[in-house]
Amino acid sequence: MIDKSILEIHEALKNGVITSEKLVGESLNKSREIQEKYNAFVTIVDDAKGIDVTDSLVSGIPFGVKDNFSTKDILTTGSSNTLNNYVPIFNATAVEKLLNAGAVITNKTVLDEFGLGGTGTTGHTGVVKNPWDRIRMCAGSSSGSACAVAAGVYPFALGSDTGDSVRKPAAYCGIVGYKPTYGMISRFGLFPFASSLDHVGVLTRNVEDAAIVTDIMKGKDPHDMTSWDSSNIHLKEALTGNVKDKKLFYIKELCDINNYNNPSKELVDHLENFHKTLELCKELGIEISEESVDQKILDAIDSVYLIIACAEATSNLSNLTSIIYGPRSDKKNINEMMIDYRTKGFSPLIKRRLVIGSYVLQKENQERYFKNAQKLRRLIVDIMKEFFKTYDGLILPVGIGPAKHLDGSLDKVSSDTVALDEHLQIGNFGGFPSITIPNGFINNLPVGINITGNCFEDENVLNLAYVLESKMPYKNQIAKEVN
Amino acid sequence: MSKFTKEMVDSYANKLLFNLTEEENQMVLDEFEVIDETIDLINKIDGIDKLEPMTHALDAFVVDLREDIAEESIELKGALRNAGAVEGREIEVPKVVE
Repeated sequence: MIDKSILEIHEALKNGVITSEKLVGESLNKSREIQEKYNAFVTIVDDAKGIDVTDSLVSGIPFGVKDNFSTKDILTTGSSNTLNNYVPIFNATAVEKLLNAGAVITNKTVLDEFGLGGTGTTGHTGVVKNPWDRIRMCAGSSSGSACAVAAGVYPFALGSDTGDSVRKPAAYCGIVGYKPTYGMISRFGLFPFASSLDHVGVLTRNVEDAAIVTDIMKGKDPHDMTSWDSSNIHLKEALTGNVKDKKLFYIKELCDINNYNNPSKELVDHLENFHKTLELCKELGIEISEESVDQKILDAIDSVYLIIACAEATSNLSNLTSIIYGPRSDKKNINEMMIDYRTKGFSPLIKRRLVIGSYVLQKENQERYFKNAQKLRRLIVDIMKEFFKTYDGLILPVGIGPAKHLDGSLDKVSSDTVALDEHLQIGNFGGFPSITIPNGFINNLPVGINITGNCFEDENVLNLAYVLESKMPYKNQIAKEVN
Repeated sequence: MSKFTKEMVDSYANKLLFNLTEEENQMVLDEFEVIDETIDLINKIDGIDKLEPMTHALDAFVVDLREDIAEESIELKGALRNAGAVEGREIEVPKVVE
């Protein structure tokens, strides 16, 4: 039962087919099995208990929480050695709302340390493996959440998304990953990484579940001044199945195989599969158009993201001193204590990112790096907003194929990076609602497609994904190991 | 603007209160070279200099100030819960003035 949709489980709970206690037990057993195979969790909440079920759709249903959301009395590490003993005294607002609705936390999931990574390899508890193929990654940073949902541990898990951290792992694991418009869900209690780009998101196995969970989590929060009143938005109710007269566009430069030198077979198949999905959209009555964006702008997306994200992270992670939380160093001098703690506690990736962030923020460098990155962010967002005057959304393939191999998966800035692998960051630049759904298999491994719309158009974006999902055979799929 | 050098990387790391290995230092420089090349490309984009830097995801961002009402703050026990060394009501720190 635990591998069913929220509505199916809710009905079974209400009809007495199963109890919440039994479901929680199923989720915990599955968590232990998954942990052995894929290393998806920082903590399994062994003493989690079932509850009396109410009319709330998530009542009595287990769920997972990425380990960068504060959970009262449950270890919360950010997957970092710098916080490997930190137990919060409060719940993040998103978590609190789900708990108030009756959902039950059964585990905390592994991420790339503090969310700064896209491979699922930098968490302090080790590498997260892909449940379809253990030699491949889940991507990141919401690696453990994606892995667990795909493996059927529960119907949903929380993720956070600063660049593509919910939406790319969803594609690599064959599930749904949704981040709403910036600020629709409060970030209070989410460890900040890059505050102007950070979003709360959710991983599920179908679009309706993503709508149900987000309907519960969203809303203005006095603890997060960037949250806003979304009481007029009803995501589940908006899933009408009607997409008549809807228009989507894709970016030619990213989706034309002739733009790639020596493309891999996986990329060829991925783009071919993407174009087949576009044909399906047309059959559904959605108008599809090709648009062009300057290749120079597309190629700069990753650097713009890195500069802004690293700069903001440098400020956000400066509170990690080991004095008020974190394992204390035994050094006697306060400076030496902090240096010892941060040198030992941070992974090499974080340290590299913070140095870059610090450099671009120096007065003499700000104009060339930080301000220029912010200006290009503006240009990219303006271009998208202009398109959104004509179209309901942007549709693109996620990544350059199925999950990448873990072997040699260094999360490193490289001139080999292609824009197709990085375009989801546009969704964070503009705070746009953005959802990934599975759209096929390559080499027996899942691949995904993404729909991104204008700010506050979440209902529209989810409904488009809902209709497309209903015409493809990948809804509610559970990962099956292929190798 | 001066070029990013090995010594500068170490100096920034030092200001950020951590040390880097030789290998990590070199990786910063290698990665930064890629960023630097992209910045050169960005500078060639028409009209980039006339754009206003975008500092926030939502342009329509409205700041609502809360009512100034006193709230309960966290309890002492909670405030001290994660500190590595505590003495009575206070977090213990090493002597800073020798």
